[in-house]
Amino acid sequence: MIQRRVVLDKLKEELVKANVRLNEEVKRIVAEYEGPFSDVIKENYIISEKECLPLCQDTGILEFFVFLGHEVVLEEPIEKTLNSAVEEVYVAYPFRYSIVSDPVFERVNTHNNTPVVVHVFQVEGKKLEIRFLVKGGGSENLSTLHMMNPSAGASEIKDFVVEFVKEHGAKACPPLHIGVGIGGTADKALVLSKLALTKDFSERHPDPRYAELEEEILRTVNLLGIGYQGLGHGITAYSVHVEHFPTHIATLPVAVSVDCYLCRKGKIVFED
Amino acid sequence: MRIEEFKIGQEILYSGKLIVMRDQAHKRLKDMVEKGEELPVDLMGAVVFYAGPAKTPPGRPIGAIGPTTSARMDDYLEMLFRLGVIATVGKGKRTGKAIEACKKWKRVYFVAPSGTAAALAKRVKRARLIAFEDLGPEAIYELEVEDFPLLVAIDSLGNSVFGE
Ligand code: SF4
Repeated sequence: MIQRRVVLDKLKEELVKANVRLNEEVKRIVAEYEGPFSDVIKENYIISEKECLPLCQDTGILEFFVFLGHEVVLEEPIEKTLNSAVEEVYVAYPFRYSIVSDPVFERVNTHNNTPVVVHVFQVEGKKLEIRFLVKGGGSENLSTLHMMNPSAGASEIKDFVVEFVKEHGAKACPPLHIGVGIGGTADKALVLSKLALTKDFSERHPDPRYAELEEEILRTVNLLGIGYQGLGHGITAYSVHVEHFPTHIATLPVAVSVDCYLCRKGKIVFED
Repeated sequence: MRIEEFKIGQEILYSGKLIVMRDQAHKRLKDMVEKGEELPVDLMGAVVFYAGPAKTPPGRPIGAIGPTTSARMDDYLEMLFRLGVIATVGKGKRTGKAIEACKKWKRVYFVAPSGTAAALAKRVKRARLIAFEDLGPEAIYELEVEDFPLLVAIDSLGNSVFGE
């Protein structure tokens, strides 16, 4: 059995880290940036880490992707543990509570930044892998889904993604990490596009055709010249990841999700 | 420096007061203006900062703070200018309506760096809650800032760094 306490403690540590410590891949790229506000951007991650202040005031909605081995035994439903971890961290640290109880009517703040969004995937084995994104409202508002014509090819998919970033990219605090989910059903494609955002920038799709699509989208997006903060200097995107799934003969769902320049995320693995 | 002298793309370090308010506070002010009620905040000569801070850690004037998307507040911009606001601060491109309002009233719009809330919080020397405490991070605050980095995004002639 994987103890609740073990998951909770490790997860809390990672949640704090994601909010106050800039991830190393991002740090290396941002350190090279010269342009408007570059001093403040570089100063920010030094201060946030030193003083345990969040990198951004929008400390996000938490989205979890759980890969649950079929032999794993837990003390309680994983969703419960994830909610407890977020509540404990967000109450104890100077983060922002950004969740409202009802999307349409009350919109009353829940004052603990829960509930979280959880996707569970059953996999074989004894491992429990948890990935998460700290998703700011600005980047989440850039999610989109397009049910494309099934005869559309890679170049039409690329055009759709690039057009979308061109129109809206500046709003989500670029440089962006771009996740593209292709296939499955409408909802599946969206989840895949989010899952793509949990990858490291350096990872490439194992299928060379998809790897090429990722690189092609990235290259074209970076010709848009949106730049840091949308002010036209530096790169527009860090990386593009594609996730795909078989689909119906009559459909081709394509979803795009983006993460803002902070790319706050985490990945933890436990073994039963 | 006079408002009319600012040109798009220009970076400045601002020291002085900022009035922090965002979506809900704008909505409430509008209701009060329409009903002819007395406003809980004096906006004459004010610089309005579209933001909502994180929680304040002990021993600090304010928590992490940074700009939110200005375009959401575009419908309220004329009202702010009528109440005496001389400039607004936020993030991102604004609609044509906001550009027109800046031109007509000879006002400017600055962007502040987003996603740099820890560094910006360090430049806030004092903070005071002014109104709508029940709104939490959406309440109205008055900040005193020092060397706060801003970039002119719409100038008083209606030029925009983000284009049309
Ligand atoms: S999109 Fe911008 S404002 Fe929103 S969380 Fe990311 S850096 Fe912060």
